[in-house]
Amino acid sequence: MENLLLLIHPATGILAMLAAVWVFVDAFNAAEGSQGRIKTLSLFCAGLMWLTYLIAGYWYVVFYGPDKAIIKAGPWPFGHNFFMEVKEHVFLALILLATYLPIAARDIAHNKAARRLTLWVAGLIVPTSLAMEGAGAIISLAVRVGLLKSAAGG
Amino acid sequence: MENIITRDKDTETYELGKYAKSFGLSLAITNLISALLVVLKEIQEDSVLAWMKAATGHHWVTHGVLNLILFLFFGWLLARPNEGKGVTINPGFLVLSIVTSLIANVLIIAGFYAF
Repeated sequence: MENLLLLIHPATGILAMLAAVWVFVDAFNAAEGSQGRIKTLSLFCAGLMWLTYLIAGYWYVVFYGPDKAIIKAGPWPFGHNFFMEVKEHVFLALILLATYLPIAARDIAHNKAARRLTLWVAGLIVPTSLAMEGAGAIISLAVRVGLLKSAAGG
Repeated sequence: MENIITRDKDTETYELGKYAKSFGLSLAITNLISALLVVLKEIQEDSVLAWMKAATGHHWVTHGVLNLILFLFFGWLLARPNEGKGVTINPGFLVLSIVTSLIANVLIIAGFYAF
């Protein structure tokens, strides 16, 4: 169960990021015909980011304890002390950014300011999401090197 | 080649909706408070962190709930001025506020855990 949750949360996170990429690209030439699509995809981005938050949050609160102990006792304690701490707290800003995207993208077809705002918000979601994915990879690797060390009797 | 963009330049506006302004500013404010709360709870473990753990069972869950409450509260509050038309803010300044608040959020949090 916990391994499934561990796999699902970066997948929903990536899908949310891809929705933000779509919104970003579509917003460049937003017009009457694309207004509905942008609205749907920005809602999709927000919904998927909340799903990521709920799945990752449940896993973090319920199952992360043993992994944390392995990381802190292993050769890469910064996997928790820096990367997990930063990831879990910066994600709280990312979830609000994604929640704001559908609000920013309202009436984008006839409003230059809304287009500009949407471009910035979607544009901020993408690198922040990538940073979350990267931090997750480092945390996973920190568990792995911790386990290798204990298997080697270190 | 057919022009697929049907945007009418003459009917374009440059005034954001009241919720775009209020929740945008709320996002910037919440990002800053959230980063400061990270520092506060880590240096006040016996009081702030202990309360946050007791409130929901995990400090991070409480942090997320507080952020959501702040975001909704400031978004609602800032939509009320000007007879319900929302706070007056230049769109460019709003974008700058959001970008700056996110960068500050990341720098404060990463800086705190790095040092």
